[in-house]
Amino acid sequence: MKDHDTLEHRLTQQGISRRSFLKFCTAMASLMALPPGTAPAIAAALAQAKRPSVIWLSFQECTGCTESLTRSHSPTLESLIFDMISLDYHHTLQAASGFAAEKSREDAMKDFYGKYLLLVDGSIPTKDNGIYSTIAGRTNLDLLQEAAKGAAAIVAVGSCAAFGGLPMAKPNPTGAAPVSDLIKDKPIINISGCPPIPSVITGVLAHYLTFGELPALDELGRPKAFYGETIHDRCYRRPFYDQGKFAKTFDDEGARNGWCLYELGCKGPTTHNACATTKWNGGAGFPIEAGHGCLGCSEPNFWDAGSFYTPLAAPTSNIGAIAGAAALAGAAAAVALSAADRAKKKSLQQTHEKLTVKDISN
Amino acid sequence: MTTSLQGGINRMMEQIDGPIATFFSSCVHCGLCADACLFYTETQNPKYTPIHKLEPMRRLWQQEFTFWGKLMSRLGLSKPVTDAELAAWEPLVYDSCTMCGRCSLACPVGNDIVYMVRKMREGMVVSGHAPDDIKGATQRAIELGGPMGITFATLQAHIKHAEKETGLTIPVDQIGADYMMVLSSAEIADFSEIIPAVTRIFDHAKVSWTFASDGFEGTNSGMQLGSSDLAAELVGRLVKAAERLKVKYVISPECGHAYTALRWEGPNLIGRPYPFKVVHIIELLDELRAAGRLRTEGMDDTRLTFHDPCQMVRRGGVVEQPRKLLKQVASNFVEMPNPGVQNWCCGGGGGVSAIERAEPLRQVAFKRKKSQLDAINVNTIVTSCSNCRNVLQDGLEHYHMPQQVVGLTELIAEHLAEKK
Repeated sequence: MKDHDTLEHRLTQQGISRRSFLKFCTAMASLMALPPGTAPAIAAALAQAKRPSVIWLSFQECTGCTESLTRSHSPTLESLIFDMISLDYHHTLQAASGFAAEKSREDAMKDFYGKYLLLVDGSIPTKDNGIYSTIAGRTNLDLLQEAAKGAAAIVAVGSCAAFGGLPMAKPNPTGAAPVSDLIKDKPIINISGCPPIPSVITGVLAHYLTFGELPALDELGRPKAFYGETIHDRCYRRPFYDQGKFAKTFDDEGARNGWCLYELGCKGPTTHNACATTKWNGGAGFPIEAGHGCLGCSEPNFWDAGSFYTPLAAPTSNIGAIAGAAALAGAAAAVALSAADRAKKKSLQQTHEKLTVKDISN
Repeated sequence: MTTSLQGGINRMMEQIDGPIATFFSSCVHCGLCADACLFYTETQNPKYTPIHKLEPMRRLWQQEFTFWGKLMSRLGLSKPVTDAELAAWEPLVYDSCTMCGRCSLACPVGNDIVYMVRKMREGMVVSGHAPDDIKGATQRAIELGGPMGITFATLQAHIKHAEKETGLTIPVDQIGADYMMVLSSAEIADFSEIIPAVTRIFDHAKVSWTFASDGFEGTNSGMQLGSSDLAAELVGRLVKAAERLKVKYVISPECGHAYTALRWEGPNLIGRPYPFKVVHIIELLDELRAAGRLRTEGMDDTRLTFHDPCQMVRRGGVVEQPRKLLKQVASNFVEMPNPGVQNWCCGGGGGVSAIERAEPLRQVAFKRKKSQLDAINVNTIVTSCSNCRNVLQDGLEHYHMPQQVVGLTELIAEHLAEKK
C-alpha cells in the first residue's frame, strides 16, 4: 500500500518524474562526496521518507537566508524538496498570523516532540535579558530554549545563527550570540554563509532524511562535504595566484584578464565554502567569477576581520597604534621593574655596613 | 660587621649598577678578552678568560635584576651563588687579574671588564674570600700608615739622608706650598733614591713643594682589596693633609694604582670633589720640560726601552709624556712590541704582586713581558711605576735576564743641567 505522505508520492503529484528524482539523488550524493553507490540508497530512503516536521525560527536576521532558499530557481528540486518537509512554522512563508501562527508552532512542538527539526536563522540577543528582539511578546532566547527542548537536531542556517553574524559585530550592542553558544545538549549543524548556498541547505536536509542522522562536521560544526575545502583551493583563478599574476585594481589589465584578486582583498584562501564548485543562481557563477573577491562570509567574525579590500597578508588592525601601545606598556613595565630593582639596591645601600680593618684582620 | 656569604652577595648586588647591567647584557661571548689577558695567553687555560672571572656576579645580576632570571630563580631553576663557588673564584678574581684593563680595551662591545672586577672584589672581601696577603697589607696601611708597615719615622730618616746627599732642605708640612709630594711604600723601602731625585729636580725647576707628615704614602691596598670603605679611609688621609697644607696640587708617585686611586677613584670614594688637582710625577716633569724649566745635559746612549705601566696608559692616558722626557736624555731609545695603550702588564699589578701564593702563576704570566723584551734586546728598562719595577726585577731574575730596571724620574734627575 502506497503511503500518500511519502516524498515520492508528493513528487509524483507535483509532476516530478522518477528520473528527475534519481538525478537529484545522484547529484546530492556527489555533492556530499558520498560513494556513487549511495545514490540509489538516497533515492530509496528519500522516496520512503516521511515528511519530518520542521520549525523555522527567525531571530536577529535579514531574511536573506530565507531569500536564498526560496529564490533558488523554480522549478528546482531544492525548492521542491523544501515543500516535502512539513514546514510547520516560518514567519515569512506561513499564511497564518498572530495566535494561529503561534498555535501551529506549539502544536508541532507537542505532536512531534523529540522528532522535529529546528531550523534557526539569525542570532539571538542575550543582553538585558534578550529584550532586543521579541516575537509575540517573548524573547528570542526564550523561544529558542523552548523549541530546542523537543528538537531532534538544530540546523543553524546562515552565519548569524551559526557564528553570530553581523548583529554580533563590534560593538555588539544587543549581546548577540550564535545558537551553539546557547544550546549545548542538542546536535547542532552550522550552515554558515551570508547567505548560505541553497543546495547546501537542501543537501543537509536530504542527508538527514536519508540516514536519519547529521552528516560529518568540521571543527566549526559545518558539514565537511561542503566546507571541507577553501574557495581558494577550488577557485578557477588559482593558476594565476600560483603564477604570481595579480589584479592590482578592479579596472586594470590584470582584472580584465581575470587574474587573482588576492591583492584586492579576496578572502578565498581562508574561507571554507562550496561557492567555487556548486556556484550560485543555478550555477551561473559565484562572486569571484563576477570579478569581486570573496568576503569570507562563511567564516566566524568575517565582519570584524578588517576591510574587504585589504589583502590577507596585511594587518587588519591599526598596527601602528598597537605597536605604540605595546611599546608604552613595555616601557611602563620596564620602568616598574627597574623601580623595583632600584628599590632593592637602595635598601642595600641604606643597610650598607662599613667594612672595617677588624673584618680583614687575620 | 662580620664577613659572610649573604653579606658578600648583598654587597655585590649593591655594586651592580647601570654600567654593569649593560655590560653583562651586551656580552656576546666572543672570547676576545681571553687573548687580551696575559694569564690566558701564557697558560692557555680558559678559566682565565676575563669575563669568566665575573661569572658569580653575572649570575647574581641575572637572578636578581633581570625579568627571566627572577622568574627562573622563583621557579627554582637557577643555580644560586654559593660560598664554595666564591672560594673557588678567589684566585680568579685576585691572583690572576692585575686590573690592567687590557680586556676592557679588547672588548668589541665596549664592556669595561676591569671596572666589573673592581666591583666584584667589593663583594668578595665582604664574603670573606679575599687573599690574606692583601688583607694584611690593607690592615698595615690603615693601622701603621703603609702596606709595608712604613711609618713617617722611616721617611724622616730617608729625608735626612737625602738632605745630606743633596745639600738641599726638604720641606715637610709647609703650609701654602704649591705641590704636595706623595710616595709609594715601594719607593720608600726599595727605591729611596727617588727622594733626592725629586728634591734636586724641584730645586732646579724652582717648584714650591712639601711632604706631609700625615699624608705621605699614596698606594691604596684598600682599592686592590676591593673595599671602598677602606680605600676611602686611605685616600681621605691624603685629602686631609692636602687641605691642611692648602696645596694646589698633589703629586701622585711612580705607582700605577696610587695614581688610579688618587686621581680617578678618590673623589668618588670620599663623595666630593677635591679642592686641589692631582698630577702624576711624570705629567709634572713633562709640564716643566715643556715650560723650559727642566733643562738636562748629556745623553744616555744605553740601548733602553720604556715599560708603560697599565694604570698610566690605559686608565690614565699618560702615553706621550714619558717618551718626550726619555728622548731628552736617552739617545738609544727603542719601543718594545705593543707599546703605549696596548702594552702588556708586568703581571703584578692590582695587588697580585702582594699575593705570595700567586708567585708561580705570576712568573708564568711574565713570559709575555719576556717575549716583548726578547724582541728588542735592550740593556735597560725604564718605567714609571715602582710596583712594575719590583715585578720586572723579580721576573728578570727568575728568567736569568740581564736587563737593568730604572725609574724615569731618577734618570731625569741624573741628567739635570748644572746650575749656573
